[in-house]
Amino acid sequence: MARPVTVAIIEDHPVVIEGIRSWIAGQKDLAVRVVATGDTIEAVLDGPGGTADVLVLDLNLNGRLVVDRVGELCAAGHRVVVFSQHAEPEIVLAVLEAGASDFVAKDEGPAHCVAAIVSAATDLPYVTPSVAGAMTVDADPDRPRLSGKERLALLWWFQGMSKASVAQRMGIAESTVRQYIGRARAKYATVGRKAVTKTALLARAIEDGLIRPDEVGDYRSFGFDPRTRSNE
Amino acid sequence: MSRDSSELVASTYMRNTTIAAVVIALGWHVGEDLPAMIIAWAGYRWPAAVAAAWLAYAGIAGVAALVLLRGDRPIRYAWALATAALVLGVVVAAAAHGQLMTLASWAWGAVGWLGVMLFWRRSMAHLVCFLGVNAVLGLGVLVVAGTLDRISIARYLMVVTGSGALQLAFAGGARALRAAADWTAAASAAHAETLTAQRTAEEVHRMRQRRFQALQHTTAHILAALADGRALPSDPSVQRSCAMEAARLRRLFAETDDLPDPLVHELEACADVAERRGVAVDLAVIGSLPGVPVNVRRALAEPPIELLSAAKTSARITVAGLGDQVVIGVVADADLARVDSGHGPDVAVSWFREGERLWVETRWPDRSPSPSSKTIQS
Repeated sequence: MARPVTVAIIEDHPVVIEGIRSWIAGQKDLAVRVVATGDTIEAVLDGPGGTADVLVLDLNLNGRLVVDRVGELCAAGHRVVVFSQHAEPEIVLAVLEAGASDFVAKDEGPAHCVAAIVSAATDLPYVTPSVAGAMTVDADPDRPRLSGKERLALLWWFQGMSKASVAQRMGIAESTVRQYIGRARAKYATVGRKAVTKTALLARAIEDGLIRPDEVGDYRSFGFDPRTRSNE
Repeated sequence: MSRDSSELVASTYMRNTTIAAVVIALGWHVGEDLPAMIIAWAGYRWPAAVAAAWLAYAGIAGVAALVLLRGDRPIRYAWALATAALVLGVVVAAAAHGQLMTLASWAWGAVGWLGVMLFWRRSMAHLVCFLGVNAVLGLGVLVVAGTLDRISIARYLMVVTGSGALQLAFAGGARALRAAADWTAAASAAHAETLTAQRTAEEVHRMRQRRFQALQHTTAHILAALADGRALPSDPSVQRSCAMEAARLRRLFAETDDLPDPLVHELEACADVAERRGVAVDLAVIGSLPGVPVNVRRALAEPPIELLSAAKTSARITVAGLGDQVVIGVVADADLARVDSGHGPDVAVSWFREGERLWVETRWPDRSPSPSSKTIQS
């Protein structure tokens, strides 16, 4: 069995850290180990958190929004899963653009937090409902063009049913729903500022057949580096 | 006329009379006082003092003009400046020794215009008092100079009453105009207010009638059934109907609240009713919502109300604004077999069952995403 995914939690409310620990403990099939916790980015990175596979980051630390720090963390090669109550689409899209692997809204924690952490560790796009919602309503012309089916899959996943239900309802296989959602997410990794984490997500998406290399466009020529791929 | 526009008219009137007061005082000083001083120049005992007085007068008038034209408040220290103006009159009179109450002592008549400016936006009593002091000073100077002959007295009276009457008439007229503008503004504002109140009352009445009609079919029916014993409060289906009517009522109350996103506000009211029953409700709103007419909002909200009223422990409501389209989704654990409500203009309703959970979606305008909607799975 592969070694457990290591995670460091940057969060200023101890009760939330306890919550995440209990969700991790409750998901026996997903091996995740918390290696560091702290209420500032610096405190966590200084210790064993600096080499954790995934950082879980609360956007509001001690009364300050740290949205602007996500880019710097991702540029340094950290895989960041943002965990926040600020699930407005603008913020969700901003952290994705900065290179965050995923965004978990606080009320999505029990259902999606651990899965999002594990997916992030292997550069797989997980896409929580709040991320799906943000992509669905995104009307910015600079953002990727999603197909009608991708949009529909994202909207219905956002509404709160399982991917199996979305698949039945769309009259397609569940794997195809996953593909639509993952593809949409991969398209988002092709826009905006370059980040190691985005490159890794794209490389994995290409490898898994979610997106073709030629669809990535010129992005691939910038900083595509297989060495940034994680262990699997 | 709205309150704003009537106030604008009133303030324009006031500004124009203010400009008139400034123009008269300065015009008088340059067009009347200056030539008078130049003509009498050779006869002054201390011409330099008269020139200084003329400049000081101009200075006071300039300061007053700046304050009056820049703001809409009375001049502070008006009496200090007025005292200085009165002193100017005495200085000019003293310098014009032997030519009292002639053109040479121009200041007697002119300071009144300074007074008009200095006591602008104050009660007339200030100006009357000021002109009175000026008249007394003039008489005092005549007495001190010992020139109480008939001609001097006549000239004195002419100057004091002539200029004073003009100044009082102008100041009084401007105040009357201002009061008239105020009345007009107040009257038109009151009229506009009455009109708005009347229209609001009509709209409220119309909405109330519509809500009453909406409730007659459903709420009144269940209340009547409860009253005459046809419906038993212990019956779960009656309980569900009651929960639904409670949500409907709350939504109708919320309908009249004037808020930016009425659809979300109304759904919040429905969510609140479900939460009171102990259902954990999660409401997520994304995208910007187009304006939705009230009858469409009602049709969009009915299926969510039906499902929320049947929810047992948890429900998730989502509202997505996709350009000009609104999509409402509700997922809840409910025993409801299907959703019946939600027939409205151009509103698409679809539902889907996955085990314990029922999933309902309403869309407006109706551009159904796939032909497979409106299927029931179990």
